[in-house]
Amino acid sequence: MLLNRDWTPLELSLWISGWAGLLALVAGTGLAWIFARLNFRGKWLLEGVTMLPLVLPPTVLGYYLLVALGRRGIGPTFEQAFGFSLVFSWPGAVVAAVIAALPLVIQAVKPGILDLSRETEDAARVDGCSELQVFRFVTLPLIRASLLSGGILAFLRAMGEFGATLMVAGNIPGRTQTLSMAVYDAVQASNLDLANRLVLLLSVITFALLFIALRIGNQVRHGAEA
Amino acid sequence: MPLAVFACALVACAALPLRTGPQSAPATDAAGAITVAGAADLQFAFTEIAELFEAQTGHRVTLVFGSTGQLAQQIENGAPYDLFVAANIEFVDDLAQKGLIVPESVALYARGRIALVVNKQSGIRAATLQDLTAAQVRRIAIANPDHAPYGLAARQALESAGLWEALRPRLVLGENVRQALQFVQAGDVPAGIVALSVANVPEVTYAPIDDALHQPLDQALGLVSTSKNPAIAMDFARFINGEHGRPIMRKYGFLLPDETR
Repeated sequence: MLLNRDWTPLELSLWISGWAGLLALVAGTGLAWIFARLNFRGKWLLEGVTMLPLVLPPTVLGYYLLVALGRRGIGPTFEQAFGFSLVFSWPGAVVAAVIAALPLVIQAVKPGILDLSRETEDAARVDGCSELQVFRFVTLPLIRASLLSGGILAFLRAMGEFGATLMVAGNIPGRTQTLSMAVYDAVQASNLDLANRLVLLLSVITFALLFIALRIGNQVRHGAEA
Repeated sequence: MPLAVFACALVACAALPLRTGPQSAPATDAAGAITVAGAADLQFAFTEIAELFEAQTGHRVTLVFGSTGQLAQQIENGAPYDLFVAANIEFVDDLAQKGLIVPESVALYARGRIALVVNKQSGIRAATLQDLTAAQVRRIAIANPDHAPYGLAARQALESAGLWEALRPRLVLGENVRQALQFVQAGDVPAGIVALSVANVPEVTYAPIDDALHQPLDQALGLVSTSKNPAIAMDFARFINGEHGRPIMRKYGFLLPDETR
């Protein structure tokens, strides 16, 4: 149903970025916890791989995804099982955005976990908390500032995603044409009036969110000091 | 607490488009909708033809423009297009051999021409390819010959005129012929070689280039094998080649299949 509806670029950008932000936050927090707390063989390799999207050219990332998710990869199997395709559809754009945003979440959340005093968690354990309760009622609240900034960064990174998405999801009006794609399309068609409006819209949304993120981040920090 | 607010905001954001969808799927199901992958030289002509088709049939046509090579590549990777309208038949035949285009649907619909375009404010006067050798023509825009048929035709024309080696350092490659034209329209590049069908824009002057200088640009279309609406897609294909589409194609400088010789 959602795959066949007609999206405006704004709706599509918010929808994709919302999903990508949420998924990247969950996965990134898990990975950050693993990297901060656990030691195992090959950890450096896993950490390196999750950081790769920061430095890889978007076209390389896009190509990997296209090969992995398309006809030559898991595409046919996936489509058979779930009834929709991961390439040239918005779920593909979500996958690209999650991978692009993952390193930002890890980098935002990992220092928060490292800074955490383990004695506080131990105290909760002594008081009879289960591991799950420790995580839910002690660890999570203590790193909420990093989670917040990680989540907003992920959302913004997803809003700005272009290169890998273009390769994996294409630029199909109503289906995969996000705001950043629409800008590219409008400039290519010499529709500068439309391009100006889209660029303004994107700039306002991203700046406003960034501003809110910084404000909340400040408040949390001051709250913690008081 | 802020985290909870943030999570709610994310969910609200994600849910937002769900509630604001008056023109969602059910409305279009009755009439039907197709996605057409068209070569960039068709941008103006097809925008007009698609509007006419929509008005007459009630079906919806979404146009995706790109270089023929790029669109073919996307189809190979499973892009959900219904009709592939290429600028060169070779790409359509190639996909048909791979089973991605229905062979019986392949049909010629036009022969294209290339044109020399010059930005009006560049102060350059160029009517022939030889004029491009003037020192003031510091940059020349063409589409990428590797995957854009009109870029290849531009290259062949320059080669036939014996200018390719001399002018090659000045070339700026657009991703498709529409982007090459945009470089000239914006004035960042003073001159270019693009499709005649898109050359009639206010910012540039244009002159057709002798079509004996390049291989014929025989443009063909074909039904994508995975199309979910093959009947509508074939209706649109016939519309292009029929009494309504042909005058529009002619208006944009295309030669029609039975008029080429």
